Amino acid sequence: MSIQKILIQYEPVPENVLRAVKDVNRHNGYLSENDCEEIAKYFSWPLARIYSLASFFDEIRIKKDRKIIIKVCSGGPCLMEKSQAVTRQIEMLLKLEAENDGSPKYKLELMSCKGLCDRGPIVMIGDQIFEKVNPENIDDIIKDYL
Amino acid sequence: MILLKIISKRFMQILTKNWDKIDPFHIDTYARSGGYEALRKVIREMTPESVVKEIKISGLQGRGGAGCPTALKWESAAKTKAQDKYFICNLDESEPGVYKDRTIAEKSPHQIIEGMIIGAYAIGAKKGFIYINGHYEKSAEILTVAIKQALEKEFLGKGIMGSSFDFEIEIFRGSGAYICGEETALINTIEGKRGEPRLKPPYPVNSGLFGKPTVVNNTETLVNIPFIISRGAKIFSGIGMKNSPGTKLFLLEGAVKSKGIFEAPLGTSVQELIYNSIYGGGLEEGKEFWFAQIGGASGRLMTAGNLDQLLVYGPAEYPLGCGSILVVDKSMDLKDFLVSWSGFFHRESCGKCVPCREGTFRLHEIAKRIRNNDLLPDDQERLEDILWTLGNTTFCPLGNFAATAWKDAIRIFGDKIFKAA
Repeated sequence: MSIQKILIQYEPVPENVLRAVKDVNRHNGYLSENDCEEIAKYFSWPLARIYSLASFFDEIRIKKDRKIIIKVCSGGPCLMEKSQAVTRQIEMLLKLEAENDGSPKYKLELMSCKGLCDRGPIVMIGDQIFEKVNPENIDDIIKDYL
Repeated sequence: MILLKIISKRFMQILTKNWDKIDPFHIDTYARSGGYEALRKVIREMTPESVVKEIKISGLQGRGGAGCPTALKWESAAKTKAQDKYFICNLDESEPGVYKDRTIAEKSPHQIIEGMIIGAYAIGAKKGFIYINGHYEKSAEILTVAIKQALEKEFLGKGIMGSSFDFEIEIFRGSGAYICGEETALINTIEGKRGEPRLKPPYPVNSGLFGKPTVVNNTETLVNIPFIISRGAKIFSGIGMKNSPGTKLFLLEGAVKSKGIFEAPLGTSVQELIYNSIYGGGLEEGKEFWFAQIGGASGRLMTAGNLDQLLVYGPAEYPLGCGSILVVDKSMDLKDFLVSWSGFFHRESCGKCVPCREGTFRLHEIAKRIRNNDLLPDDQERLEDILWTLGNTTFCPLGNFAATAWKDAIRIFGDKIFKAA
């Protein structure tokens, strides 16, 4: 979908800026400089304000990233359900290190609570959320996803 | 005696009374269990002033963590003169280990909406927002349906229930940032700005969203409102403790037998919540209690000797925060928790003030060194320095939160942490 088609759904008022930014991010996977310019023009805002908003949130990307991003919840309740062991298992399987951007294809990050503590440990691959992950089933989850 | 128990048990259910008894997708099931009766009473019999007065008598305190009296916010916003006012329901919860607001939205969405409408009536707001955590897809879906149904029944929209009171609610979805649960940061995000906290004063009740008087209430706070109005403030203030009335949702997690959300009167001890069979039911088979963390990643650590502490709002040695109790048993490694806490606050620090941005970053570095057993010679000193700075100099409470659990960990288990180095 072209950016104009996305923007036209929103009335150009301030409370719609984040909504539009999120929408473009979801469709394109990230916000290019051109996207930001178009959004700025549409809302009659300076480009810098769109960038400052977009760069604030972890989930809105302002750079194209081809890597597959895997995130493991590091919150207390998930930790109690052995999310540490899940992280280790992923590190072994994909031969990389958590919070280290050295691998060319994957990125393993720790993430903040997603409010699904009753179904932990929680793992996210891309936008997909996986519940009740354990060191035994994580291999299959990753292989199925790839 | 048994009868008395049944009555008190029934009174204890304010927040969860509709859970699994009504269909969240059908407004009629909520109406049949007494829903929107409080709103009817407010519209037909009460003035905005008397609503605020009723809430004041009830002594209801904000359930988001700080425990600020709800009536105080409402009264200030009601007294501030302005053409437009806003009423915001804070459903952004992102404290690790807390999912009570999500559960409320999924099980009893109309209770939130009814509480919001009454609040908006009391302060004179025409527009409201429900600020939902960006990951709560299902909650957003359920609330969207609920708002539509409330509009059809004329509980929302123009001329609510035949009166001259107008109110509409819009759903606003956040984008996953812990700091946006702070009310001024939340307001900034709706305005399309970075989710950084603002300097207070001015308080949002005087100058909030778009510079207009704005009340931001936690979801759990709002679901108390219909009960207070329909049953009376006196009955509400008789539950729980004198200075901290009502019930609270407690989240039991970790090594307890039955995990989940439990409604209990404020002033219940941690001991009872963990070991009583109607709540946690003790620890899982073969696990030995080590410590409990009260109130998420920003909460204090409680050892076995302090379990008799009562959980209340207001000044307390162990602030109850948003009500989560993480029970940690002796099989766990404290170092994993240190990395978990520092990593969380390092990720979630908004970057506005230097002490927090740099402090959480360095704290996380030291945490990783502790985990990997390669502490530098001066690390213990540095750590004390960082924790003091976080605790005393940051712009908003996030910095203090980052230091809370660490300070306790060092005080209680310091030898273990540094000896291993």
